[in-house]
Amino acid sequence: MATARTREQSASTGSAPARLFAPCRAACPVHVDVPGYLLAVAEGRFSDALDIVIERNPLPSVCGRICLRPCEDGCRRCLLDEPVAIAALKRAAADHGVYPTPRHPKRMRPERVAVVGSGPAGLTAAYDLACLGIHVTIYEEKPRLGGMLRYGIPNYRLPDAALDRDISFILGHGIESKTDIRIGRDITLAGLRASCDAVLVTAGLQLSRPVPIEGVDLPGVLTALPFLDAAARGMRVDVGKRVVVVGGGNVAVDVARTASRLGAREVTMICLESREEMPASDHELHDAETEGIRFLPSWGPRAVLGDDEVTGLRAVRCTSVFDAEKRFAPTFDESVSTILDADTVLFAVGQGVDVADLGVPLTQRGAPVHEPGTMRTPVERVYAAGDCVCGPTKVIDAIAEGHRAAAVIFRDLAGDDRPLVELDADAIAIGKVPEHVAHKLERKRRIQMERLEFYEACDSFDEVEFGYTQYEAAREAQRCLSCTTGARLTREKCAACLTCVRVCPHDVPSLQAGGYLYFDLDACHACGACVSQCPALALSLEGTSEAEMSRKMQRALEDHSVDATLAFRCGSAPGGFLHLGKDTTTLTQSCLLSVSERSVLEALQSGAAKVLFAECDAATCRFPHAQELVARSAERIRSILSQLGMEDAFEVVPVEPLEGEYLPWSS
Amino acid sequence: MSLAAAFDSGRFVVTSEVGPPKGTDVAAMLETAEVLAPHVDALNVTDNQAAVMRLSTLAACVHLTQAGHETVYQVTCRDRNRLALQSDLLGAASFGITNVLALTGDHVRVGDHREAKAVFDLESVQLLRVIQTLNAGTDMAGKELHGTPEFYAGAVVTPDSAPLAPQLAKFEKKVAAGARYFQTQAVYDLASFESFMRFARRFEVKVLAGIVVLRSARMASFMNANIPGITVPEGIVAELTASEDAASTGVQIAARFIRGAREMCDGIHIMAIGAEHLAPRVIGEAGLTREVPA
Amino acid sequence: MVVVTAKQLDEIVHMLAGRRRVLLLGCNTCAAVALAGGDREVETMIQALQLAISRRGMTVEFVGGVLQRQCEPEYVEAMDAEDIDAILSLGCGAGVAMLAAQTGIPVYPALDTLFIGAAQGLGSWRAECSACGSCVLGETAGICPVTRCAKGILNGPCGGVNDGECELGDRPCAWVEIHERLESQGRGASFAHENPPKDDSAGEMYQWDLSAKGGSR
Repeated sequence: MATARTREQSASTGSAPARLFAPCRAACPVHVDVPGYLLAVAEGRFSDALDIVIERNPLPSVCGRICLRPCEDGCRRCLLDEPVAIAALKRAAADHGVYPTPRHPKRMRPERVAVVGSGPAGLTAAYDLACLGIHVTIYEEKPRLGGMLRYGIPNYRLPDAALDRDISFILGHGIESKTDIRIGRDITLAGLRASCDAVLVTAGLQLSRPVPIEGVDLPGVLTALPFLDAAARGMRVDVGKRVVVVGGGNVAVDVARTASRLGAREVTMICLESREEMPASDHELHDAETEGIRFLPSWGPRAVLGDDEVTGLRAVRCTSVFDAEKRFAPTFDESVSTILDADTVLFAVGQGVDVADLGVPLTQRGAPVHEPGTMRTPVERVYAAGDCVCGPTKVIDAIAEGHRAAAVIFRDLAGDDRPLVELDADAIAIGKVPEHVAHKLERKRRIQMERLEFYEACDSFDEVEFGYTQYEAAREAQRCLSCTTGARLTREKCAACLTCVRVCPHDVPSLQAGGYLYFDLDACHACGACVSQCPALALSLEGTSEAEMSRKMQRALEDHSVDATLAFRCGSAPGGFLHLGKDTTTLTQSCLLSVSERSVLEALQSGAAKVLFAECDAATCRFPHAQELVARSAERIRSILSQLGMEDAFEVVPVEPLEGEYLPWSS
Repeated sequence: MSLAAAFDSGRFVVTSEVGPPKGTDVAAMLETAEVLAPHVDALNVTDNQAAVMRLSTLAACVHLTQAGHETVYQVTCRDRNRLALQSDLLGAASFGITNVLALTGDHVRVGDHREAKAVFDLESVQLLRVIQTLNAGTDMAGKELHGTPEFYAGAVVTPDSAPLAPQLAKFEKKVAAGARYFQTQAVYDLASFESFMRFARRFEVKVLAGIVVLRSARMASFMNANIPGITVPEGIVAELTASEDAASTGVQIAARFIRGAREMCDGIHIMAIGAEHLAPRVIGEAGLTREVPA
Repeated sequence: MVVVTAKQLDEIVHMLAGRRRVLLLGCNTCAAVALAGGDREVETMIQALQLAISRRGMTVEFVGGVLQRQCEPEYVEAMDAEDIDAILSLGCGAGVAMLAAQTGIPVYPALDTLFIGAAQGLGSWRAECSACGSCVLGETAGICPVTRCAKGILNGPCGGVNDGECELGDRPCAWVEIHERLESQGRGASFAHENPPKDDSAGEMYQWDLSAKGGSR
């Protein structure tokens, strides 16, 4: 997988020029083109957004909900207010967009690959290999596909329906699946190898054990994975009134919240780590807390109490978890202890590999022996990837592993290393927002998503978060600073007229000795002012072009009569109503600056009877400096049309919440 | 008596404007000249005034000269290049016309032929220099003239111009280029005029104070707002507003100014602007008596 | 820089009547910088002309292109004008002239050439030079009276100056500005220098000497 580095690091290594990524994209293990899909969402193009996500991540519906979003930590808005809701907008793309029709390769290849395990790594690898024309069969021990996504992550975070959308999209690429089959038990590895050219083991971490203390054999002591599995299958596990969960990670949180939904009145999480050190992500902990889960950090379990059944847990003060070398080496103060009453004690303290019967050489901890770079095991044509070899990681890391496994296998089978080279290509994250720009950027709070109230949430396994509506999603996506998608200069075309210098609100273009212009991408937020004014067409924005606009207009006008009105709507305009004729089609733009005079004339030439600019207002405008430029452009269009006797063919209208027909986000 | 002689005689000189007609009928112009002549030392003939096309100034001056009037031939640089200017000046001299007022001229854009090419091959300072050159017996190319004119050259100045410094600097240039007398843009404020005259008196030139007779308060306000370099003091506007017979009040205001300016300058130039009939009244009220020409 | 502006479409359509395939040619030097003759304007004008032509029931095919500078023969020679029966130049007059001389194809101007100007901000230029051939800027503190004074006066403001404004009301009085700047630079005495009438043949002489292809204006 491509590694993201800072620009300074790259400069010091003196390596070949790397791709320049927005920090969100660089931080994402699979480098999803975040600014790209956020722009599409901002313009109401949810299907386009979904296409862009799927380019790098075949599990958008899953990741839109439960990704631990390293991207958001990278977001350059973190320093201004709060990060853009990147994951939630991925979900919006999956919720409101249409999944692309599976691309079937021109020619199927002769090779066959078996994938063992259907978690995120396995599904991703299967998807990639299928796209490359390889016959793939997925083997899954459980009754349905999804691995931990289905049996580990509770439904209130990831409902089956949401998971199934991604899986059915993936399977749509001609992938076979065989469930309720455990390799090593129902079919031997040797048998499997005989039927295909390569086997990829992505078995994950299926075992969980209690901490070896007194009393863990008592009835009422449970471990995380079987508990979550049972809950996922709809079983009403009786946990009693008081539940103690041992563990401070995300799985422990899932366990605690699940226990609460199964009827526990009092759920307490205890863990060795201090509150600050708890490995669970902040938003997970926050959600748990709002649902009434109690945290007891810095306690080490010493014994489960009870004679015939669990009555409680005794714990002592944990004084530190890690030693000076950051290794796990907890120390305790045995003099400080506490006893927690409990009907059930649930251990969520780490997971183990369960591939002993597979028949591959194993490491000390029971994982398949494998070479990380090539993912090969000592058994010929058997590969291993994902958590079963890496230990517990994030879903998005497992997806990255899946991509790499597919690329490695494809190289070995087909002798074609292009997918691997693509993955290994270097990428650089751009720097921080420069000071002189930061103070000019408008502060905007994240759009809050509607969700179940906590008292409703802990009563059922219904999904807690509702997801953004189309309008909310577009508004949230408009918070994106569009890092790295800004102005690109084609120096050969530049007339050095300095128009860009005059219109840029952030002083991005600067004049260099010799009359050359330099664009500081760290400072550019892709408002498009310079692009819209460049007389030599020497500037462009990533992902937008006159040709693309032309295609969009043709598509928009295709299904309409010759008298159609084409409305270019500013994506920043509030969701409002507009008096429009029946036959109106709308194209939402991140800003009307992206609609050139040429485009308006072309639309009229292509059959539109009228073109509208549906403007945002000062209150919602994302690029205030653009208003004057849009007004100039509108004036120019009016002047040309009046010379042609077509004054009525163009109008600028505000988008106001008036009585009238709804102006949709896209059509 | 020639204008030069009138100045030299030490009398308080009076000139007044005559506008050539738009058309060939010069009868009205000649009639006006007859009305004014008894009261003035010379008739000053405008040159496509305000860039509005009229009968040629030269032709008008010939008509008036032949009727026995002393004329001042206004020459602007707007409509003729240096060849035409020189040849017209020689033509004027050949008819015995010697008084020339050299002006740059209003721009064609303010007149009735806005699309015309504005020539301005020369401007006032250079035109004064050309007149000096012709008087010396050669043309601008240095070629000798057969028959040499004896022009008495004048120029204009705007004492209330804002800013004043460049205007005064240009006044000096005009003096250096051969202006023998100046007529000013309309002036109303005696104190301000006196301050200008203190400057002008440093040079050996004659100065005619420009008089425009106000006929109403509206006219005064219009001039304040629209005519560059004219300032009608508020007191005068109020006086006109209060008056029941504004035209007469205007005459009195002009006469009062003239009486006040009499000791400051060398004479007055009355720009009647379509109310030539008021000129004799002003002159009368100001106590300036003329001998009736024989 | 030479400042240019687009002609009215009617005038252009009239010129192109009866043409089959017209090359709209921009100029990436002055005309592009003047926001009237770069690639963007070529593209915009093609669309506008297509609309105009189709509304008149005519058919003309338009193709677009841009030269770095239309007024250089080498750039023009390198141009592809295959199967073009007229060129619409989005360059200044010099560009039109060069294209016409070099290509042998009828060339029409899409722009009007206005003046030599300096940028005042986005899309705004001020006439600063009239290419008169005998520069007086040294004495006038860098403010050209030939260009900036409506009457081209060389010796000071006329009586039409109104609170520092030209009597035409569309510009400041050049001579008031000259006076101020000379004073501010301690060069007030320069103002007294009497400028003789201009040598109007000067510009032509240079043209003749340099190119041997000029002629009187």
